[in-house]
Amino acid sequence: MKAVGLDVGSLNVKAVILDGSSAVSFAMLTVSEGAEPSARAALDEAIISSKLNGDELYIVATGVGGKAISFSQQQKAITTCLARGVHYLFPAARMVVDVGAETTTVLKINDRGRVTDWAGQDKCAAGTGMFLQAMAKIMQVSLKDMAEYSLRAKNRADITGTCAVFAESEVISHIHRVPPTPKEEIIAGIHASMVSRIMGLLKRLGIEKEVAVVGGVALDGGFIHVLEEELGFKVLVPENPQMVAALGAAILAKENLEKGVR
Amino acid sequence: MITAGIDIGSRASKAVVLKDGKIIASYIGDTGAESVVTSRVTMAKTLEGTGLELSDIDYIVATGYGRVLVPFANENISEISCHARGINYYFPSVRTILDMGGQDCKAISVDGEGRVTNFVMNDKCAGGTGRFLEMIAEVLGVPLSEIGDLALQSKAAIPFNTICAVFARSEAIGYLRKGISKSDILAGLHEAIAIRSYNLLKRVSIQKDFSISGGIAKNKGMVAKIAEKVGLQPLLAEDPQLAGCLGAALFAQDRVMGKTRKDTLKISYGYSDGSGEYFITIDAGKCDGCGKCVEACFAGNFEIKLDEQGQPKAAIKESLRKKIHLACPGYKKCSAEHTVNCHSVCQQDAISHSW
Repeated sequence: MKAVGLDVGSLNVKAVILDGSSAVSFAMLTVSEGAEPSARAALDEAIISSKLNGDELYIVATGVGGKAISFSQQQKAITTCLARGVHYLFPAARMVVDVGAETTTVLKINDRGRVTDWAGQDKCAAGTGMFLQAMAKIMQVSLKDMAEYSLRAKNRADITGTCAVFAESEVISHIHRVPPTPKEEIIAGIHASMVSRIMGLLKRLGIEKEVAVVGGVALDGGFIHVLEEELGFKVLVPENPQMVAALGAAILAKENLEKGVR
Repeated sequence: MITAGIDIGSRASKAVVLKDGKIIASYIGDTGAESVVTSRVTMAKTLEGTGLELSDIDYIVATGYGRVLVPFANENISEISCHARGINYYFPSVRTILDMGGQDCKAISVDGEGRVTNFVMNDKCAGGTGRFLEMIAEVLGVPLSEIGDLALQSKAAIPFNTICAVFARSEAIGYLRKGISKSDILAGLHEAIAIRSYNLLKRVSIQKDFSISGGIAKNKGMVAKIAEKVGLQPLLAEDPQLAGCLGAALFAQDRVMGKTRKDTLKISYGYSDGSGEYFITIDAGKCDGCGKCVEACFAGNFEIKLDEQGQPKAAIKESLRKKIHLACPGYKKCSAEHTVNCHSVCQQDAISHSW
């Protein structure tokens, strides 16, 4: 019997299969025609690349669409899964920053990977992946290249609004200024606007070292750089930051299997 | 006596010309990229066909976001005072005004003479602004002027989880794909905006009579939803979008007649967004500008500024207004952590926090 974690996010579905205590396979797909078919497709992909055949699966689902997955054995809160996944990768981490497509969440975790406190919001696009995507679109820079521009910047353009719609107008006015604000500085300013939102959540819980950053936005090195500057220390970023919640769900599935919970 | 008021808003620019207290000309156009050009065009269009020239006008007052960039204005006055004054011209009995503009939303309390006594503004989140409605109209492919009527036709409004313009947009696209009718989607969005406006109004306390100003007041569906939430039928001016510039023109008339103006108002600095409400309110009537709060605030949030009458008053620094919950921990938390804070040093008891 293999332990499987499925994270059904607002934009992507992620699947992780565990063998023993190491991840043997993972897959990520964009949610297209509903949560359940997309989740099944991601799982199939992970099964194929893991070369497992006919093994029985024990599945723990999480994420915004986790409840919609009928073939999972159990559903877990995203916070629990994130904490467990981060603890597995970085046992020293005491805070987790998760910046997904539509949510920002900050957790405090203990030395056993349990959540002790959390703050987050899912009702406002400020500081989320959607915000970054909208900004990349008006800057006409691909999401991947945002980091490169931001890291080159010597100054940050002042973007006072955190609302995606108003930040957009501010960015446009920077572009049309005479002389125009350099692209690098505007993008660094965009990252700073997102970080100001995250710093607010971090300060609400009280900042503690080490801080791990996960979720799709953690792939943006420019965002990470600005966050590190604001915090004054380096943060931990896993190799596959988008897979952490699915990994945590898989670890919970494994624990259940060991305890004999079906 | 001929006076004019010009209101350079975030999305639309408006002007009126008054002759002996009667409106003789008005114009509404879009705000362009350059405020100076927009202000000249707006004024020229307003005067078209009146036989008047700019030099014939005795006094011009500018208001709105772009009010400082109107080169021919004699004076500029905040749009809050102007909206209050403009609505008072139509309806002296109105005590509560909801101003729904292109990029912000304000709730204003006003006295019998059109003076502002209290106001709250939300200009940090686009949810519920004209900008939001423009985005939605575009996504649904419905002209902006028709969305309100379409919303009224709905029998089953779709509940929206969020008022965030970005999320609401993607939620609306999702519903469209599922084949839900545009009128049901619009009804849901109008409902969500009405709830938010009602919450903003509650912060200034709603008193009879009630009026709505700004461009969104022309949207019948929105007015109906807000009336339903508030439980009061709003009094609507002939053109609610002109309230701001009309107020400005009335102030211009006062100036020509040598009248000065005195406001005693509470000013709320801050905003509300998906995570909560963050307002610091300073009662300008009580504040004597002593500056103790400036010294007491360990985060350095306060400053002393001269108001429109030249009196020193405490204010929240401009740069911090849109991130006040990051700069200020909130009164309860601050007083637990620090022995000195703005409330306890203020002898006039002029400062309050919403969180």
